[in-house]
Amino acid sequence: MTAPSFEEFLSLSVDLTAFEETVLLGTGLARDYLAKVQAACGDEVVTALLAAHRAARADAAVDAGGHDRALPYRTLPDRALLDRALRHRIFSDDRLGPVARNVIKLWYAGMWYALPPEWTDRYGAHAAGETSTVTAASYQEGLLWRAIGANPPGAKAPGYGSWAQPPRIEDRYLNGATK
Amino acid sequence: MTASTINNRDDLISYLHVALALEHATIPPYLTAYYSIRSTTNSDAAHIIRVVAVEEMLHLTLVANVLNAIGGKPDLNRPGFVPSYPAYLPDGENDFTVDLRPLSPEAVETFCKIERPGQAPSADARLVRTPDSGSPVLAFSPTAEGMRFYSIGEFYAEIIEGLGKVAADDPKLFSGDPDLQVGPEYFYSGGGAVIVVSDLDSACRALRFIAAQGEGLDSGIYDADGELAHYYRFRQLQLGRYYQVGDEPDAPSGPPLSVAWDDVYPVKVSARLADYPPGSELAGVARDFNAAYGAFLALLTKAFNGQPGLLQDAVCDMFRLRDGFNRLVRNPLPGSDGLHAAPTFEIPAAFGSDPEAAPAAGERTQGVTR
Repeated sequence: MTAPSFEEFLSLSVDLTAFEETVLLGTGLARDYLAKVQAACGDEVVTALLAAHRAARADAAVDAGGHDRALPYRTLPDRALLDRALRHRIFSDDRLGPVARNVIKLWYAGMWYALPPEWTDRYGAHAAGETSTVTAASYQEGLLWRAIGANPPGAKAPGYGSWAQPPRIEDRYLNGATK
Repeated sequence: MTASTINNRDDLISYLHVALALEHATIPPYLTAYYSIRSTTNSDAAHIIRVVAVEEMLHLTLVANVLNAIGGKPDLNRPGFVPSYPAYLPDGENDFTVDLRPLSPEAVETFCKIERPGQAPSADARLVRTPDSGSPVLAFSPTAEGMRFYSIGEFYAEIIEGLGKVAADDPKLFSGDPDLQVGPEYFYSGGGAVIVVSDLDSACRALRFIAAQGEGLDSGIYDADGELAHYYRFRQLQLGRYYQVGDEPDAPSGPPLSVAWDDVYPVKVSARLADYPPGSELAGVARDFNAAYGAFLALLTKAFNGQPGLLQDAVCDMFRLRDGFNRLVRNPLPGSDGLHAAPTFEIPAAFGSDPEAAPAAGERTQGVTR
């Protein structure tokens, strides 16, 4: 079995987190995170997750191509088609769904959370699967701080008095809401 | 003794604009080396570079104070204020190249040259002809065409002498608005106390402070306050040992320090926007950084023109720039053999003429390149 591809893990992470690739690489932790998921779940599961992601992307591309325009979801925008395919191929899958949710939490919080016992009973437990931080830097690089326009408390000092200013959240993450 | 190249207030103002650009020009190279260091590694090197970079920011502020004191108008958005890297600085008869480099022995060698004590062998040798084919040198004479200075120290010596000469002829030289001065209440944790300039004495003190802090001219490796000159701070990285009081210049005897040259992101040397894949997400991030930096310089310009309170906002901008810098250097630059991205400091032209019309930091300004 070939080792899970870093590029594919990055592509999966872009779709799971809704952050751009440059932001994910900009944490400096993408390779550490892939290694953590491999250690916690095993390569077989990771490889299957990446394959399911490839398949979901392909489904969305086919649907966007409009082979069957009679289907009601054909009118959905590309992003919604991908969303639908990800739910179908990954999130509703008993084995891959919990791992994908954990990858999201990993990027947002910088923590690996132990998978539920139902999952480990069925698919196997790994010593590295316990709840743990990945590196000393992962807390402050958590995407959640970027998402809410705040600095991680106790790290990445934003400057005296900056707390008096409203958070700066990039427009593309506001989902139509006004600042 | 050659004739002074400074004869009146306008000459002085021209020189101080060059000095302002010169002080700023050292900051991007220091920051590039500093932010190339992987987090949690190289704390000795990071600390040394950071201290010097922050003191260059003090120098920039001191030059602005001198310029304001004689009725000039600091402008950090002038075309060409941020040099195109590689830039060139004088090193005696020759020039040397200042690149934007990751922390490396080459980078430290450049930093030592930037800060090296350099005194012309005679007063006649202070000015050196710029080679015709040469690239623009940062410590040039704005009044004697085709001439640049033997060293940064000689450049400041010329300004200090010029100030004395013009002040003797023109008792109203220091008639700038005192409200434009940036005082200690606006400038904190910045590598020394800021000097408010109101007369010849305080102007000369401010400029001598700049020269002494960088090069340790006349004062040995430690200055009167017991502070190690920048040149010797960097020498510590080359010699692998800290100085302590009483040491000879080439023989530090303090605790050893080590540099892990490999714990560094291998950023592309003096990267340009043209090195980024056109239209890529990463190119957009690099352009955004340049736009944010241009907006930051516009904010500093306002702070130096009557709104010193804005320096507090500028500090918050600096932290945002830090985060942007970190994101860029952690991204590999596609097509560059594993080298990483870094800010290019190509400031969009929108900031050149009218700072009011410039977009705010962090806004997308794709397509607005020089």
